[in-house]
Amino acid sequence: MKIALIGNQNSGKTTLFNLLTGSNQKIGNWPGVTIERKVGMIRGTNHELVDLPGIYSLSPYTSEEEISRKFVFEEHPDIIINIIDATSIERSLYLTTQLLELDTKVIIALNMTDILEKKGLHIEIDKLRQELDADIIPISALKRTGIKELIERIKTNAVQSNQNQMIFQPEVEKAIATIEQTLNGGHRRFIAIKLLEHDPLFLTLHQPFIDDLANKLELFFATDMEELIASGRYQYITSMKKRTVTHHPPIIDVTDRLDKVFLNKWLALPIFAVIMFLVYYLAVGTVGRFTVEGINSLVSSFGTWVRSGLISLNASAWSASLVSDGIIAGVGAVLNFVPQLIILFLCISILEATGYMSRIAFFLDRIFKRFGLSGKSLIPFIVGTGCSVPGIMATRTIEDPEERRMSIMLTPFIPCSAKLPIIVLFASYFFPKHSGVVSVSLYFLAIIVILFSALVMKKFFFKGKPSPYISELPEYKVPSPRYILRDVGEKTWEFVKKAGTIILLSSVIIWFFLSFSWTFQYGVDVEESILASIGRLFSWVLYPMIGEMSWGATVSAIQGLVAKEQVVSSMAVIAGLSEEVASGSGIFNAQIFSFFTPISAYSYMIFNLFSAPCFGAIAAMRRELGSRKRVWIAVSFQTGLAWVIASLFFGIGTLIGGIFG
Amino acid sequence: MKNKCTLQVGEQGHLSDLHVGQKARVLALHNDSKSLRRHLLDMGITKDVEILVKKKAPLGDPVDIELRGYELCIRLSDMKNIDIEVIPS
Repeated sequence: MKIALIGNQNSGKTTLFNLLTGSNQKIGNWPGVTIERKVGMIRGTNHELVDLPGIYSLSPYTSEEEISRKFVFEEHPDIIINIIDATSIERSLYLTTQLLELDTKVIIALNMTDILEKKGLHIEIDKLRQELDADIIPISALKRTGIKELIERIKTNAVQSNQNQMIFQPEVEKAIATIEQTLNGGHRRFIAIKLLEHDPLFLTLHQPFIDDLANKLELFFATDMEELIASGRYQYITSMKKRTVTHHPPIIDVTDRLDKVFLNKWLALPIFAVIMFLVYYLAVGTVGRFTVEGINSLVSSFGTWVRSGLISLNASAWSASLVSDGIIAGVGAVLNFVPQLIILFLCISILEATGYMSRIAFFLDRIFKRFGLSGKSLIPFIVGTGCSVPGIMATRTIEDPEERRMSIMLTPFIPCSAKLPIIVLFASYFFPKHSGVVSVSLYFLAIIVILFSALVMKKFFFKGKPSPYISELPEYKVPSPRYILRDVGEKTWEFVKKAGTIILLSSVIIWFFLSFSWTFQYGVDVEESILASIGRLFSWVLYPMIGEMSWGATVSAIQGLVAKEQVVSSMAVIAGLSEEVASGSGIFNAQIFSFFTPISAYSYMIFNLFSAPCFGAIAAMRRELGSRKRVWIAVSFQTGLAWVIASLFFGIGTLIGGIFG
Repeated sequence: MKNKCTLQVGEQGHLSDLHVGQKARVLALHNDSKSLRRHLLDMGITKDVEILVKKKAPLGDPVDIELRGYELCIRLSDMKNIDIEVIPS
């Protein structure tokens, strides 16, 4: 059987999906975490469960909501599990009334029953079951109650369908019945209502007499069909709610109290700045220096140890060099940064789970609106601090296509976790006392770059009207430690896996091009290597921002296309191979990178952070933008802008340095 | 509060005219933008529904409103499309 999981945004669909299938999909406390459908097998059965993006109605507004609606009509699920947030039952049942009009079997999973009491709500479930004439199973996805009953019900397939309750005014019901009689196939009641509402998706089924029916009703009720149907549903729900739900609101609402601080007129922005500062300060400033110095020497002594081991085993010089100078140096350089990334992932995961992220979107909306964006663009940006790819995908929650395109092009400007190694490497060496401040400054620079770019794009490419911003404000939640640990573990593992695959392969390739000359002679000086000669072709590009014709810095920056952390890895391999003795004292002690000054280090960071993202992110942009031309525009724009800002910084920085130095 | 005059109970206006803590009943939704109207209807903003203005974003916009037992963020510019009558809160 094929089973669809459908419900409002932020109603706990994915949490339930993970429970039912035993998988570990991303959850979060903001509307619109699930942007693609996800498929899994329900534990102990061979039934397929599909987790769909949250919707409030079967008339969707955004591309990701469209996925849910299409699934229902085109893939004909056998059962729909309609998950409902019991604490906002009135709004949730609006979707339910529509689902119950389909011919599909529907089970209502009444979620969050564990916190009903805390919110002063009481629902008489038996009565509600009777009134709706539908199957209801109370559950708590968080406390894991009611799940067994739900699986049991799916297994036995004892579910009602097609209740066809008459919920509208008699005149409306009569019109629906008239249209129904002319229809063939499934979902007749549902389609009849949609035809009355003039839904664009069912225009092919339209017949002239439907207009007459609609016109008469509109005259009679002095309103239009859309409002008539929507009010009809809500009136039915309110009267049912009066009979089944009692509400005694608690005196102290924790969420309201917290919002008095976090959404305070004067405190909100400073608190936000402090939180973002802390995230980067913790990740880079505190753990940063310790790990770079500590583990760097560990890795290089490990490399030396392996090399001497290999040589004592009579391994050839080139193979010993491949392993220690290529693989261990390259992969090790990236693995150095795992501790920082764990801290970063932990902070972001907590931010996402508590519900603070929706607040950030809420209070920055006004500023973002000025630049043609909305608060909703902020969610891709914050997700993008982990990785641009899910960040770019998170733009699907944005309704307006132009605003969405802009957000897709802007998300890669956010320093993702793979860029963190670059920041930490340079910041901790050149600004040892202020590495935290320096990395935070890059983050704020990213925000300025984003707003500036948005302004430019709005001026030249996109000239749309602002789209509406309608979003739920979720309650604050204490994040579940189990989930946070799993989330952080998974992201960290992804990073390590990447180091063991892409970075490893790239390191081997880099080692090869560094160790051989064009005549395939092994063991040449790196300056005579293939890589050096390739790099020299392009080193003029970076000259204006580092003040040096450096092929090493150039080829490393280009490798950022593979993965941003590859920049660090490449520099480590180049530095290691260029020195006669493996001194173990870091990349910048190598002759080849000794030209870097604090100013050129900062400009080089700027270029690497804001230029074209890695291939993974470019591919995601291609998918979401749907046009190769737009991707070219975006990538050229990003790289061009990065070059200009980096060169400007270097030029001005050197000038000021010259005056005061 | 700014020197904009406050709507009193019984007076009519737009939802965007209300201050935090004021409550209103919806009279009608404007028809300027079809998709916005549809969206508002789906979110439960229908005729006669009662809405409480609960929080304002620190910069004054958007606004968090409470209706039908849940909270919704909406911009002042979109709230201008909602005609209301102030009721006692």
